Amino acid sequence: MRVFLSLVLACLVWVMPALAQNGPLRIEITEGVIEPLPFAAPDFVSDNAAGADMGRKIAEVVAADLTGTGLFREIQPDAFISRVTSFSSPVQYADWKAINAQALITGAVSVDSAGKLVVRFRLFDVFAGQELGQGLQLVGTQDGWRRIAHKVADQVYSRITGEAPYFDSRIVFVAESGPKDQRSKRLAIMDYDGANVSYLTDSASIVLAPRFSPDGERVLYTSYESGFPRIYVMNVGSVQRRVLESQDGQMSFAPRFGPDGRTVVYSVSRGGNTDLFRMDIGTGASTRLTSAPSIETAPSFSPDGTRIVFESDRSGTPQLYIMAASGGEAQRISFGQGRYGTPVWSPRGDLIAFTKQSKGRFHIGVMRTDGSEERLLTASFLDEGPTWSPNGRVIMFTRETQGAQGSASLYSVDITGRNLRQVPTTTGASDPSWSPLQE
Amino acid sequence: MNLGQIISGAGHLALIGWAVFGGAFKSEPLPFEVTEVTAISAEDFAALMDGPRAPDAVANVNTPEPPAEGEGAPELSSTADAAPDNAQPEAAASAEPDSAPEIPDVAPPADAEVSDEPPVLDPPQDDVAALVPDVSPRPQPRPAPRVAPEPVAQPEPDVTIDDVDQQEAAPAETAEPVQEDTEATAREEATTEIVTEAEENDVANAAPPRSVRPRTRPERPAAQDDTQPAARPQTDESAVNDALAEALGQAGGEGQGAPQGPPLTAGEKDALRVAVQNCWNVGSLSSQALRTTVVVAVTMSEDAKPVASSIRMLSASGGDGAAAKQAYEAARRAIIRCGAGGFDLPVEKYDHWRDIEMTFNPERMRIK
Repeated sequence: MRVFLSLVLACLVWVMPALAQNGPLRIEITEGVIEPLPFAAPDFVSDNAAGADMGRKIAEVVAADLTGTGLFREIQPDAFISRVTSFSSPVQYADWKAINAQALITGAVSVDSAGKLVVRFRLFDVFAGQELGQGLQLVGTQDGWRRIAHKVADQVYSRITGEAPYFDSRIVFVAESGPKDQRSKRLAIMDYDGANVSYLTDSASIVLAPRFSPDGERVLYTSYESGFPRIYVMNVGSVQRRVLESQDGQMSFAPRFGPDGRTVVYSVSRGGNTDLFRMDIGTGASTRLTSAPSIETAPSFSPDGTRIVFESDRSGTPQLYIMAASGGEAQRISFGQGRYGTPVWSPRGDLIAFTKQSKGRFHIGVMRTDGSEERLLTASFLDEGPTWSPNGRVIMFTRETQGAQGSASLYSVDITGRNLRQVPTTTGASDPSWSPLQE
Repeated sequence: MNLGQIISGAGHLALIGWAVFGGAFKSEPLPFEVTEVTAISAEDFAALMDGPRAPDAVANVNTPEPPAEGEGAPELSSTADAAPDNAQPEAAASAEPDSAPEIPDVAPPADAEVSDEPPVLDPPQDDVAALVPDVSPRPQPRPAPRVAPEPVAQPEPDVTIDDVDQQEAAPAETAEPVQEDTEATAREEATTEIVTEAEENDVANAAPPRSVRPRTRPERPAAQDDTQPAARPQTDESAVNDALAEALGQAGGEGQGAPQGPPLTAGEKDALRVAVQNCWNVGSLSSQALRTTVVVAVTMSEDAKPVASSIRMLSASGGDGAAAKQAYEAARRAIIRCGAGGFDLPVEKYDHWRDIEMTFNPERMRIK
């Protein structure tokens, strides 16, 4: 050993003069930390009396949006050293560094002569001692102050993370009330954070599986109003609805819009067999996509509209398959143990979310579009029905608790599996569908 | 006939004689067993061979006669049960109270023999084979909200969270220089990987990840420790580092424009790398930014603090411009945050770390 070491040293002594450092020191960082980024969001200052209380409420919503992602941590106001008294006053970076605030959000609120709410904000990188992006001004109705706050949070989120925003979006879902055996269901819509709930249907008939159109203005859903399931399309703004063409005696369900907003894929059950169809929603012309003796359902378009992922039991157990949007031979992509269902293609196109039942438990998971890199994100008595946030970073789903008194509620989870949290709703809730970002 | 023939003949005769009369061709008697036997008479033998004989078949079986027809059922008669005698027993005379027991004088226990010397325990046996349990609960990684390269246990509740571990310091009573009070700090609790809800209760992989590896050689006896030199020899790595430093020191003196003095050792570089990576927070980076590697240059002041205005991105690869910008900003925050108090760099080697190029490669941080 000593002889070997001596030889190595001799070689190094001979070689090293040629390798002597003659430039900057170079190091490579390959591992970091994953932790929420601490930020400070003081109350937005009020430029006039009309916006006095609004500044605090907007700052609260912005902070709640950012904290809710799990990527940010709010520093409580009682830790602040500096006070922001003017929107244009210089930032005391040292004071914010002292409390380890890495990002600082300042803003101002006023109401103009037309009664419009005017919100300005700026974002600062405290440790770099500079502003991140340019300041922005947003104008809206006073009733829509929450949307403006979501817009501010979206800007902050995007500027720091580089992800597309998603706070200014809505959820359509099935509001549930009553015991399990006599549960009434109706369509409802709310902000992504559970605020501003309004109902689209009454509870006279059972409704299922609402799905937003790509522009967020219409909703497809299945209703038992006629005694058997039929697909309806509703305009969210006017609450006007119509039934999609279907033949009597056929059960149509599990509809979903294509990315063009004109095409709908859905399942039709006839004579004990269920197959996939697509329909041009303008002309009513439908095309059969599958004709297997097995059950094919839960279709979902890829973002580019060229492929469809769906659920089929043609192999004996429910598994996930992908086929061309025009039909044809399908390729199986799920091969793990258990049953797979309700696949949904990510808006980014890189992942497919699904429900998996295995060993008596239900999971929400994601996999690549070729079935690789399957990851289970949740586990409970009953998790099902995933839907993607507009930026493809978060998944919302239904979780139902066990027992006769069990109830359904909405949960969200980051695609990393972190930040699992319940979405606050006033009633039981299931079957969520996430809208695109609002204009 | 010469002497040699005589000797040869005598020797052969002697050998033949020993072979014939000495028993060289005798074989050992074959081993045999001896069994005791008993002589019996012919009558006894015949009696033994006859054995017990099977009994003759029984032809006639006595069966009970059936009852004759026409016999009437026996008359049943019953008499009412006599009422039980419920006479109350006479009250028993109260027992006399027990007399108080006599308490014998209890002699105090004799003093136990106690030795001041502690008992000598046998040293534990080192090489003991241990059976690995068939199924043992897999130690689940704690779902700490923070993911870091090194796991950090949950700190004490009253300890301040900081980037470094630090013991609490208080002014010593006898010390002359005034020492500032310093709060104990500890790094924030962290785990090394993201644990989803589905993985928290995963019992499928309950088998132990590895078995106990048997030791290949026994421990050296304690007596041999006395023969070891008092000073521990340098490890191979430090010896190599020192040799490198010495070699490069000579080289630096010979080069023109190169920094003077020995360069940073691998350990010093590692310390710098660890310090920066502890502040490199990739949790808030987009998926695209997590695919982007950036090279960032920074100039350091002599007190080992980064000059914020000197930080610049030299190159980026793997993502678009927006992703590179996010990745660069995260890298810049890491350098400034953890360099705010000055990195642990040797002042005498300032020429070697005045300008630093840091490559931030998030490849291993994409999914953990």
